[in-house]
Amino acid sequence: MKEYTLVAMVSVLFVVLLDRLLRTRLTGRAEFWIFIGVMFGFKLVFNGYLTWRPIVLYGEQFFLNVRLGTIPLEDFLFGFSMITLTVVLWEYAKGRSFGDSHEGGGLHRQDGEIPE
Amino acid sequence: MRSEYLILLGLIIVFPLILSRDAKLGMYKHRGALWFAVIGMCIPFWLWDIVAAARGHWWFSGTYTIGAGWLGLPLEEWLFFPIVGFVSIFTWESTRYFWGRRKR
Repeated sequence: MKEYTLVAMVSVLFVVLLDRLLRTRLTGRAEFWIFIGVMFGFKLVFNGYLTWRPIVLYGEQFFLNVRLGTIPLEDFLFGFSMITLTVVLWEYAKGRSFGDSHEGGGLHRQDGEIPE
Repeated sequence: MRSEYLILLGLIIVFPLILSRDAKLGMYKHRGALWFAVIGMCIPFWLWDIVAAARGHWWFSGTYTIGAGWLGLPLEEWLFFPIVGFVSIFTWESTRYFWGRRKR
């Protein structure tokens, strides 16, 4: 297995596991996948530009060299992990009111969910 | 043009930065969480980037970066992660906002 391919796959596994571990469970929600779709839309433009120019270049021996346009397949795994890790940590910390301005700022619950 | 990567970063952040002021999203009600999430993502991804660049998984064009850098990564690449982190949270909160409205 190519190194970048392997590391990228492991990163996805790790982030999905973290989502379960922290009980944020975003990967089970429909709006999460809509969000990923929107982010991948942006990604096609910006990652596309980076790899088309190219501003970033890849070592042949470390990835599959299967590309969507000019974007390596592995970049989608990399991007998924990066984006998902951010919102998992965000939802986790938001639920625990990390460093919020009101007093306490500790572990009291404040869900911040939009009422449905 | 050596500022191309930097300009690209500017284009990524500019509209989310302006639109995130919208109180309906409530993004800045949780500043601590915002920092926690962005830094918490940046640390492992900076490390991944440093090691991958050192091993030759990828490298960066000198033609389109300004030339400043640290640990094998151009300045633009360092900025890439906090910027994408911020944009991710903005886009997530926007998605949740519109999703919530749709269902009401």
